Amino acid sequence: MSPVILCPSCDLVHRGTKAPEQGRTQCARCRAPLQRAGGAALDTAIALAACALVLLFLSNAYPLVEMHVNGSTRETTLIGAALGLHAQNFDTLAALVLLTTVIAPLLQITALLYLLLPLRRHRHARGEQTVFRLLTRVRQWSFTEVFLLGVLAALVRLSTYTYIVTGISLWSCVLLMLCLSALAGITSPEQIWRWIERSRT
Amino acid sequence: MSGPVTGRSLGLLVCLECRATVRAAAEPHSRCPRCRAALHARKPYSLLITTLLIIAAAILYIPANLLPVMDSRTLIDDEYDTIMSGVLVLLHSGAWPIALLVFFASIVVPLLKILALAVLVYSAWVRSPVRRAQRSELFRMVEFIGRWSMLDIYAISLLATLVQVQSFALVIVGWGAWAFGAVVVLTLLAARTFDERLLWDDPE
Repeated sequence: MSPVILCPSCDLVHRGTKAPEQGRTQCARCRAPLQRAGGAALDTAIALAACALVLLFLSNAYPLVEMHVNGSTRETTLIGAALGLHAQNFDTLAALVLLTTVIAPLLQITALLYLLLPLRRHRHARGEQTVFRLLTRVRQWSFTEVFLLGVLAALVRLSTYTYIVTGISLWSCVLLMLCLSALAGITSPEQIWRWIERSRT
Repeated sequence: MSGPVTGRSLGLLVCLECRATVRAAAEPHSRCPRCRAALHARKPYSLLITTLLIIAAAILYIPANLLPVMDSRTLIDDEYDTIMSGVLVLLHSGAWPIALLVFFASIVVPLLKILALAVLVYSAWVRSPVRRAQRSELFRMVEFIGRWSMLDIYAISLLATLVQVQSFALVIVGWGAWAFGAVVVLTLLAARTFDERLLWDDPE
């Protein structure tokens, strides 16, 4: 590959730049992040993705919050929030919430695993390029960290009226958010292709 | 002419999906040799599409703030909440950090995003040469904070799911929430269709 890099934000040409040991480099002109640190281990990314997959499953299997009113209990899981909107016939909103809290994280994790797992045995996933493009698109719609603050805002509003119990799923959601942001940090598009190209040789 | 050396001046493109540097091809519909993503020197119709999305978002911003986002019915009263009155409820319950956060994420951020993108599109349209670095910085900020506006949508969806105790307390989603969700999605899309590099292109 040519050692020339273009800044995706201002089109400035950078020559002979290498991925930094840690942190990131900036464009000399517009200060946009140019290159992220390379050298994260493939196995670290796979481990984080597998962990995130388990956490996503837990977040949907167990209640996020429970509400106790008049002796009756209502609870919801991660996916339940989207279904509640669907029950009130706000299907577009329900689809938006479902996409950003369940589908996008799920696709993001499975696409990463699909791309990275075969590389350990120097093989390549079928449809590698298509799955890679799906991954970069879907990653932009994964909003787990925002969802958690939304949960917090809802809990504050409810706690003045009723008795609220946080479920274990809330904690798995917090861990999921941490996993996903760590994963985003070490699986930049450049890094994914570095892994793919390294396993070709 | 000696200016900064850009990809365009050398006939090079960057693939926005995988960041590969590619020699610009003569034919219009070229694809990245590494990831097969469509390649463009600049995103096609970027300013036009971004402008249309901002206009749509600005129009929907009005019902998003005026219409109730939810209707809370309890035994004793029936309360319609707009986004702003939701913030006030949080403030009165003493949770001012959360109130501030929701105020910022739901009211300030969408408005700032629409205004900032309008300024950026206009300045790119007239190819303004001033304060390019600051405008670039502004765009990255818009891109970064955009997703946080979804916060209220999530809070409403949780309230509407949990508070369904028949004849005691009910939360019903209002059309304001729909309009608000549309504003968030439209501004997110507007930021994505805007090509930052247009801020740096010199007049021919």
